Amino acid sequence: MFSFLLRRIGVLIPTFLGITLLTFTLIRLIPGDPIEVMVGERSLSPTLHAAAMKRLGLDQPIATQYMNYLGQLLHGNLGTSLKTQENVWVEFKTLFPATLELALAALAFATIVGLLAGIIAAIKRGSIFDHGVMTISLTGFSMPIFWWGLILIMLFSVLLGWTPVSGRLDLAFDVQPQTGFMLIDAWRAELADPSLNAGAFKDAVKHLILPAIVLGTIPLAVIARMTRSSMLEVLREDYVRTARAKGLSPARVIFVHTLRNALIPVLTVIGLQVGTLMGGAVLTETIFSWPGIGKWLIDAIGRRDYPVVQNGILLVASLVILTNFIVDILYGIANPRIRHAK
Amino acid sequence: MTTTQTPLLNIKNLSVEFGSVGNPFRAVEGLDLTVQQGEIVGIVGESGSGKSVTMMAMMGLLEGQGRIVADDLTFDGKNLLTISGRDRRKIVGKDIAMIFQDPMTSLNPSYTVGYQIMEVLKVHQGLRGAALQARALELMELVEIPAAKTRLHAYPHQLSGGMSQRVMIAVALACNPKLLIADEPTTALDVTIQAQIMDLLVNLQKERNMALIMITHDLAVISEVAHRVAVMYAGQVVEIGKVPNLFRHPTHPYTEALLASIPEHSKGARRLSTLPGIVPGQYDRPKGCLLSPRCLYATEHCHQERPGMTQHDTGAVRCFYPLVDKEAV
Amino acid sequence: MANAKTLPTMAVAEEPVINYPSPLKEFWLGFSHNKGAVAGLAFICLIVICALFAPWLAPYSPIEQFRDHLLTPPSWAQGGSSAFLLGTDEVGRDILSRLIHGARLSLLIGLSSVVMSLVPGILMGLLAAFFPRWIGQGIMRLMDIMMALPSLLLAVAIMAILGPGLINAMIAIAVVSLPAYVRLTRASAMTELNKDYVTASRVAGAGLFRLMLITVLPNCMAPLIVHATMSFSSAILEIAALGFLGMGVQPPTPEWGTMLASARDYIESAWWVVTLPGLTILLSVLAINLMGDGLRDALDPKLKRAA
Ligand SMILES: Nc1ncnc2c1ncn2[C@@H]1O[C@H](COP(=O)(O)OP(=O)(O)OP(=O)(O)O)[C@@H](O)[C@H]1O
Ligand code: SF4
Ligand SMILES: [Mg+2]
Repeated sequence: MFSFLLRRIGVLIPTFLGITLLTFTLIRLIPGDPIEVMVGERSLSPTLHAAAMKRLGLDQPIATQYMNYLGQLLHGNLGTSLKTQENVWVEFKTLFPATLELALAALAFATIVGLLAGIIAAIKRGSIFDHGVMTISLTGFSMPIFWWGLILIMLFSVLLGWTPVSGRLDLAFDVQPQTGFMLIDAWRAELADPSLNAGAFKDAVKHLILPAIVLGTIPLAVIARMTRSSMLEVLREDYVRTARAKGLSPARVIFVHTLRNALIPVLTVIGLQVGTLMGGAVLTETIFSWPGIGKWLIDAIGRRDYPVVQNGILLVASLVILTNFIVDILYGIANPRIRHAK
Repeated sequence: MTTTQTPLLNIKNLSVEFGSVGNPFRAVEGLDLTVQQGEIVGIVGESGSGKSVTMMAMMGLLEGQGRIVADDLTFDGKNLLTISGRDRRKIVGKDIAMIFQDPMTSLNPSYTVGYQIMEVLKVHQGLRGAALQARALELMELVEIPAAKTRLHAYPHQLSGGMSQRVMIAVALACNPKLLIADEPTTALDVTIQAQIMDLLVNLQKERNMALIMITHDLAVISEVAHRVAVMYAGQVVEIGKVPNLFRHPTHPYTEALLASIPEHSKGARRLSTLPGIVPGQYDRPKGCLLSPRCLYATEHCHQERPGMTQHDTGAVRCFYPLVDKEAV
Repeated sequence: MANAKTLPTMAVAEEPVINYPSPLKEFWLGFSHNKGAVAGLAFICLIVICALFAPWLAPYSPIEQFRDHLLTPPSWAQGGSSAFLLGTDEVGRDILSRLIHGARLSLLIGLSSVVMSLVPGILMGLLAAFFPRWIGQGIMRLMDIMMALPSLLLAVAIMAILGPGLINAMIAIAVVSLPAYVRLTRASAMTELNKDYVTASRVAGAGLFRLMLITVLPNCMAPLIVHATMSFSSAILEIAALGFLGMGVQPPTPEWGTMLASARDYIESAWWVVTLPGLTILLSVLAINLMGDGLRDALDPKLKRAA
């Protein structure tokens, strides 16, 4: 197990360095002079220009610049937003819980529904339910989620009036961000001041439902399909036949002998959805005006706020790498063959 | 003959079909087989002849895959054709147990060996706690697994093929079955291990006086251990008989050919005279006797009609022209 | 190579003669068995026809603005006009015409980005498989890094550098889908490399390029074809997403995703502006995916037997 961990970490570090190299070059690939790109329309006098180059270290050789960049990263300095003059890390930190809350809700929705649908479809292979699950999940997999979001808003918010159109909470409530998770903050605010904030939690849930469904749609489809095919594969295994030959109940055969082995590849797929979720968050947050890092990055790109773009992408990528790393470890724990590998 | 005694297992006219109803494939056809208590019955036949399917049908392992029809399918006085799933599961794994060809894939990779042995004991005998542990250990020792105590906590991938098959045998014997089915238990193992496992099985059978159905390709082994042997070809039993007789005086051309293919039984020039061709598959089953395209003795009659089973004093044969023993004439 | 494979069976003289169907026919049998795949294929044919003959099929020019007919509902809805079958958008352009012309763009971008990532992807994958040490490691690490970025985010980042536009969108999507091709090619080439026929042709003195492109590559094609289909559909989704975010093809070019960029403003007033472009995207992507499923089942013998 220890050597397994070491090997994984050995892959993690070069990947992370590669990402920094990528984000470092990213900014330099933009055609034109970096200072001009940063200041935008305003023109600078040559002396100011040179001073800015020096201040940003852009007059040094490219290798030194990269080392400086790495040094800054190691000191936790992720630069300052050109627009808000706020530290990029601070901005990320305040916005990230919103994205995390949304992504967790989406993933929970996708995992629960996807696993159930996939398992039942596999058990009832060839039935109407099976065909239904397969058709719906292929449709979900093909969904342009930004349009799906619009359709759901049109249906549930505009037509039926069940859910709000955008944001995380109605402005009428007075909720201080403490954890950054609106569900928790609203819950606490409701308890603290029941007269002012009655119904805040329910309102937060209502705000979360549609974005979570939209963001969870593609992962749901992927998980359902993967669960089904993985179950079917394991059901054909010799050891499942052994389990049945032991006279075990169908429930035991499914839950003890099939599911556990079938879930191993599904777990990996769920882990890989983190990337999909982060990409999907960009769209979902844009549609629902959800104040998370997806919308933050898109806005930053829109107004050419390069420090935010550069290091925001670095942060998101690190997040994805880290989750995949954790999934790898979990995979090792779930699968004795890997755990025991020398 | 033994027909006066009620057999432990009685299969009459069993057929198993796969595929769609419109386009069925008969993997087993009109199969009769009886097994007495304490008897070793061998089943031999080429790959695809339906040996495993017969046994799996009997154990109810083909649920949802194959359609099973039979005149009679009785085990220990219980009708396996009409039995409910719940009641069947009380017999399967307890009174009838089965071990399979590939021990390495027949154990669940995610659970320890001990867990997989104890599972049967828990489900069928309700053992718990220390008694359960002790019984599992006892079984491991029974199948001669060295360092049984530590092996209880091993995962299947940490065991060799031979060890895994021993574990499978321990699982099968856990509830003292009346009938053990060994489906090519040694095919996937090294030659040196094969003999050990075979000895173990036969010794255990003698010790416990349980019935044993031994499916194998190895005629030499079966001729040493079995009381009776059934020879299968393309889903049918073509010959069944008591052991020394069937090997000394085969009456079916296919049995003769099978025997000729093993060195100990072939004499002189006949050594290489195995049957040309292959077992007919789903689409190329002949109209007449299933063996007719390959049979050395086939006549026009054989090509037109299928022979039924004919009884004789030491067994039965499915052939219009059973071979007469040359030495006896 | 073919000879090496058929030799052993020729030794068995009495092999019964069974007429095996030709590979193409067998493929079509497997494919047409899957009703969804055939439906998908039919819809794709429809889209392709729309794309090819757009100027003749579309009733109007996609950018012509009918100032007197802003936001006309579809002809069957109340207030609709038979002149505009699917209604008009906020500046009075005929939606049907825009959708038909949009098929051109989506197919064009999808196809070119598939080709643009398929060719370098296969080459890099083969290189990585044939030289697993330095080159292979280098390539695979690079791909790992690219995979770590959510593809839409990477595409958005590339668009941020390159600026919006048709060609740039193709490039961004091609870059984003590169790693999957590399990995897939490498993995299947590695399995093939261990097989005897490769060793045989090595021993026979085949050069590196021959070995790569003639001996190994054809045997890796099945999964690549399936993947190319799937990545074609995700390319269409990605272009649409970029268009929706305002970073793809710029208006007034009739691109499906771009048509939705301003649609949010009409959720309450003009459902057809919101619904129709997205439905077109969904159906096209679904059709391609259905076809991809059918392709996989027909091309992959292992799965075929299980089905
Ligand atoms: N689940 C199934 N569905 C369809 N056909 C099956 C199934 N199981 C077995 N068959 C077919 O039934 C026939 C008999 O198979 P079976 O496994 O009983 O052969 P066998 O005599 O045990 O051969 P072997 O010596 O290789 O184990 C084969 O042609 C096989 O393809
Ligand atoms: S019936 Fe005819 S073909 Fe069949 S085994 Fe006997 S002799 Fe051969
Ligand atoms: Mg078998």
